[in-house]
Amino acid sequence: MKKIYLHPLPVRIWHWINALSFLILIFTGLQIRYRDIMQVTSFRTAVDIHNVFGFVLLFNFFIWLVYYLVSGKIKVYIPDFSFKVFVGGCIRQARYYGYGIFIGEENPHHCTPENKFNPMQQVAYLNIMAVFIPLQLVTGILMWDMKKYAYWIGLAGGIRIVDSVHVLLFLFFTSFLFVHIYLATLGHTTFAHIKAMVTGFEEEPEHGHSH
Amino acid sequence: MVRLNGEQVVLNGAYQGWTLDEDFAAAQDRSSEGDSRAMFRMFRKILPAGIFLLGPVSALLFVCLLPLISLLMVLTLLTKVALASESTESEEAVICMGCHSGQDAVKTFGNKETVSLKIDKSHFKGSVHSFLSCTGCHSSVSLDKHPSAQYTSRRDLAARISLSCKGCHSDEQLMAKPLHRQAITRSNAPPCSDCHGSHAIRKASGWKEASNTSQYCLTCHKKDLSTSVNGETLSLTIDEAALRHSVHGGQECSQCHEEYSVKSHPLNKFKSKRELSISLSGICRQCHAAKYAQHQGSIHTTLLQRGNTKAPVCTDCHGAHAVGPKALGVTLSGAPCRKCHESTFEAYKSSVHGKAKMNGKTSAPICSSCHPAHEVKPALASRSPRTTCIGCHKEVAALHREWLPNADMHLEAIACTACHVPDAERTVYLRVTDNKSGVSVLKSALKEFLGPGYEKLTSARPDGLEAQQLWDVYQQLGESRSQAGLTGTLGLQDCNASHRLASKKWAVRQCDNCHDANSKFFKTVAMAVISPDGHEEHYLVNRSVLGSVFTLLPIHQFYALGGTRIRLLDILGIAMVFGGVSLPVMHILLRLLSIPIREARRMNRLRKGGRR
Repeated sequence: MKKIYLHPLPVRIWHWINALSFLILIFTGLQIRYRDIMQVTSFRTAVDIHNVFGFVLLFNFFIWLVYYLVSGKIKVYIPDFSFKVFVGGCIRQARYYGYGIFIGEENPHHCTPENKFNPMQQVAYLNIMAVFIPLQLVTGILMWDMKKYAYWIGLAGGIRIVDSVHVLLFLFFTSFLFVHIYLATLGHTTFAHIKAMVTGFEEEPEHGHSH
Repeated sequence: MVRLNGEQVVLNGAYQGWTLDEDFAAAQDRSSEGDSRAMFRMFRKILPAGIFLLGPVSALLFVCLLPLISLLMVLTLLTKVALASESTESEEAVICMGCHSGQDAVKTFGNKETVSLKIDKSHFKGSVHSFLSCTGCHSSVSLDKHPSAQYTSRRDLAARISLSCKGCHSDEQLMAKPLHRQAITRSNAPPCSDCHGSHAIRKASGWKEASNTSQYCLTCHKKDLSTSVNGETLSLTIDEAALRHSVHGGQECSQCHEEYSVKSHPLNKFKSKRELSISLSGICRQCHAAKYAQHQGSIHTTLLQRGNTKAPVCTDCHGAHAVGPKALGVTLSGAPCRKCHESTFEAYKSSVHGKAKMNGKTSAPICSSCHPAHEVKPALASRSPRTTCIGCHKEVAALHREWLPNADMHLEAIACTACHVPDAERTVYLRVTDNKSGVSVLKSALKEFLGPGYEKLTSARPDGLEAQQLWDVYQQLGESRSQAGLTGTLGLQDCNASHRLASKKWAVRQCDNCHDANSKFFKTVAMAVISPDGHEEHYLVNRSVLGSVFTLLPIHQFYALGGTRIRLLDILGIAMVFGGVSLPVMHILLRLLSIPIREARRMNRLRKGGRR
């Protein structure tokens, strides 16, 4: 077994704060939107908690941004500029998840600190980190003080549009969460990736060992 | 000495003169012829000595007394002139005045009313009737007999004496002026003395010139006068004290009643009392042009122009002659609005404002505090909470910010009454408003913007307007370059209920009341259009529009998290979460099913490895 130091401490702290915030935001979001179905907390409590963890997520996002920009690790999110390499990588990865994994083929992607994500992960996380989370944070802030940001809400097409975008992203994150957790179990053991996100070290069998 | 009304009255003066004349005649009888001769002789003896001795003394006395004698002569002449002027007074009047100008005797009528029998001599002398004898009018009395006449009341006395006037003033003369004819020919015609006075009667031309218009008018109109207008009784009596104390106390009657003056008194030409009030209210404009202009733009004037004569005019609130410095409705009981808006007033009485007013808090608002008195418009409070409630409750935004997230947004989209009248039914009102000013677009302008689409908007549907139709309205408003859009506001279903404002401790504070898809606050939705008279016309809208994807843009500003959520997103959410869950589940299943394949391939690899 070889151990790769894949997740430095700041990344791990960021990840778990993000995870906790996401869970709480999803739960309170459900409580805000579906009070007719679930009544675990009052609307007001749910809004207050949602606001607090919204800002936690906001600051956490900047921690991530600053860390990745300063350390230069942001590259791991950037897909290969060669379209052929990128598409080929995506097809290979999709083939693995859709076929190879069932017949016992090896994961075509091998994690290294410099090449942490497979091409599919790259495109997914780049979208999440660069588009979806910022959009979710912006729409959340607009709704946090609607009067103050009335102009921007107006530009966006009104409060219904802003909330609809927020809800659509919330639905996406919720459904993505299931996929994300499932994919996290597809390491060489079920908990290998999860353990790596705690300890920082990804254990990987020696090349050919699994064959 | 005579007895008059139970009192003894002493007569003196003229009748005692005869005693002096008798003394003079007796003195003349006592003189004799002999005595006169003796006296003549004696006179001749002493004459020279008398002239010598008394001459200078007499001359000196004459010179000294000359001014005194002159003065006495002048006074004597003046007295003669004065007596000559009195000569117009009849001898009979002089005799009557002997009693009636002196003692202040009182006559009691059958109804216990009293009248003073004292007549001011100067008044009578100054009257146009001073040349008449008393019996000319008081025909039942003469110098020979003075019967004690029995009258039931002062009015009876005046009426019976008025009959005497006709002895001199012919019917032709009395009927010559139309107003006079109208006054004296009606069933309850006042006696002549009511307007003309009794003993002090003067030439009409004389006192018209001497008094101002108001005094002239009040001569008659402060008395108990009334007239009949098409069966309605119109009081013509003016409370002089109230008029004098009013803000118009210094004005002349003719300043408002323009066609009436000392010289002109046209006959009433109005068909009803109401028509008179409405007509006269236009005169207020002369001095109160600004207020009049405000009133012209009000719902009340619009109602009036549409033929509703019950709509209030100036005098309905301010009164006619007793105009107070401000609206008379300053006090709770005197609110003039109550005359028409009784149920609203009852609601107000039960409100926190009404109770404060009843408890003597003078600063508590009255009707005009929220609905401006002259430019009164309906439903003002629900359309523009900031300019009504916040006008007094200036700290309201800060107070709400202390506990309410997005307080300013709440205050903008929700009428104050929606929370502060906790037991009322709510409605979400959709109004077409100007994008910049936020003011509601009038029906006429909306018709212009929407063209034939307007009819679709307002035509009655059992389930109300659908979201698709609101989308059409939104599009047409955009295409018409109207700069107008739909604005949603949560208000009260019944505008009367908005006057039942409760104490703030009862106000709705729980977020869950609105932010719940089952909220009873969003059960009804209505399209509100301002009609030309200022009223809001409401058209039912299907409540499903609040959760429709078609209203994402049309009702872009009205949204309650959880309360009016877009239903399509719920369906989409279920699909997405189902996809998110089912993908791993399917994958796990396939992985389980493919275990034999992997196992076979692993065995193959092991075998190949063994051979090698």
